Amino acid sequence: MEAFIQDWLPIIGQSVIETFQMVIISLFFAILIGVPLGILIVLTRPGQAMANKVVYQLLNLFINIVRSIPFIILLFFILPFTKFLVGTTIGVQGVIVPLVIYTAPYIARLLETSLLEVDSGVIEAYKAMGIKTRQIIWNVMLREARPSIILGLTIATVSLIGATAMAGLVGAGGLGDLAYRFGHLRYEVDVMYATVFILIVLVQGIQSLGNRLAARLKKD
Amino acid sequence: MIKLEGITKTFPSKNGNVTAVNNVNLHVKKGEIHGVIGYSGAGKSTLIRLVNLLEKPTSGSVSIKGTELTSLTPEKLRQTRQKMGMIFQHFNLMKTATVYDNIATPLKLLGYDKHEVKKRVEKYLKIVDLFEKQKSYPSELSGGQKQRVAIARALSQEPEILLSDEATSALDPETTNSILDLLLKINEELGITILLITHEMNVIQKICDYVYVLENGEIIEESSSIELFTNPRKQTTKKFLDTISQRKLSASLISQLKLNGTVTRLTFIGENTGQPLLAQVSQKFGVEPNILTANIMELKNGIVGNLVIHLVGEAEQINASLQFLNNQGVTTVEVEGE
Repeated sequence: MEAFIQDWLPIIGQSVIETFQMVIISLFFAILIGVPLGILIVLTRPGQAMANKVVYQLLNLFINIVRSIPFIILLFFILPFTKFLVGTTIGVQGVIVPLVIYTAPYIARLLETSLLEVDSGVIEAYKAMGIKTRQIIWNVMLREARPSIILGLTIATVSLIGATAMAGLVGAGGLGDLAYRFGHLRYEVDVMYATVFILIVLVQGIQSLGNRLAARLKKD
Repeated sequence: MIKLEGITKTFPSKNGNVTAVNNVNLHVKKGEIHGVIGYSGAGKSTLIRLVNLLEKPTSGSVSIKGTELTSLTPEKLRQTRQKMGMIFQHFNLMKTATVYDNIATPLKLLGYDKHEVKKRVEKYLKIVDLFEKQKSYPSELSGGQKQRVAIARALSQEPEILLSDEATSALDPETTNSILDLLLKINEELGITILLITHEMNVIQKICDYVYVLENGEIIEESSSIELFTNPRKQTTKKFLDTISQRKLSASLISQLKLNGTVTRLTFIGENTGQPLLAQVSQKFGVEPNILTANIMELKNGIVGNLVIHLVGEAEQINASLQFLNNQGVTTVEVEGE
């Protein structure tokens, strides 16, 4: 046991760091793109504040197309775009772009669902008070949807961790890659077990954190 | 204060346009409480949303204090709405915000400074009698308390008009009464003009000066509430009145009673209620009045009494009795065995 830890701790530790890097950086950019996208798709819906059929349909189509592509295909499919954007297609840097493109539409969809759950009566009440649409979005819709948004982001984060497993294909490392290369290809079963265990703990931890945060914000 | 002229609202639907509100005229004077009563689907909710343009009218004019709303820019419309409070059947409070924040948030968004926000929240929480609940969340409050918070939220912008969309429909009778008392209080003490919609006749009875009966999007009858309670003209209005007083007798009973007399509804207003008119009738004309149903309703602006009597006697004497009652200011209507 001790020998195993001594041998593998640095490698596993490195992989954990890589996974965290990929998840945190991608999540940050995916939220940055996904949240406005989600708000926009809600607002352009028929009957909403900025109802616009064309924009709404286009956004829907775009989100659906991106979400149809499995991550492993997306990874290669957008190589030229990745190269253009960050100058490289390998390593952590190279995998961030596909991860963001993979996660952002997912976050947009989850956010859309959360925002649509907000009681339309409350929004109507604020409209009746003469409050600006922009302020209603920030101070009423996003606020009321917080518990549901947190849960959505938790789901997105877990699915993002899953996607990072494929990052090894472009040499970005991470836990998934470790399990695949050492555990599967070299048949070092112990490493695979250890990695899977860490992944389980990680996912479990994120889910509990998300649940707890959502419960705290939820007041009904 | 509030003037709707020729307001029509149609919604497109699969089977052509549906007219929710049809050529409605309505005029609420400053300081009065006007009520629109109607069944579900009569167009009440659409009507009240036309007043602050949450629904845009298909045609007609909406004017508030002489300002025509339909031609305002979105910016000016927002400013006008700030002077019109609105309360709702389901309260429409933010679940994730405390009582304090539910009232403070709109004020902050409207640009009031921190000090003013605090001052107003506290002032209006005191008016609705919920000062000690400011740290509670809506889920910890009863329906009546939630409506009080919603009322405080509406009042905190110090509006001149309050629109009430079925504000008591989700509440039990006792809570309904306390909310109605509160509405009366803010009408009397703060001078706020109120337009409300409801399907409950007791709401009209208790607080309204003037009533509109809405059916299929049209106002079929309108009058002061005393007039409406003493002299309802339309069938729908009578049905609404039946909901709060035992007005209805079975047709077979009435037919039976009519064999030896007449069945008459007497309606009287104000001080007449105290006079022993029936005793006088009996003495003067030798008829025997027998009271079938009786009730006295306290309206906002007076008292209305309602008696259904069976008059036994000669047709001539009965007619003379009714004439006498009419002369005393009592409305008499023969009850049909419908």
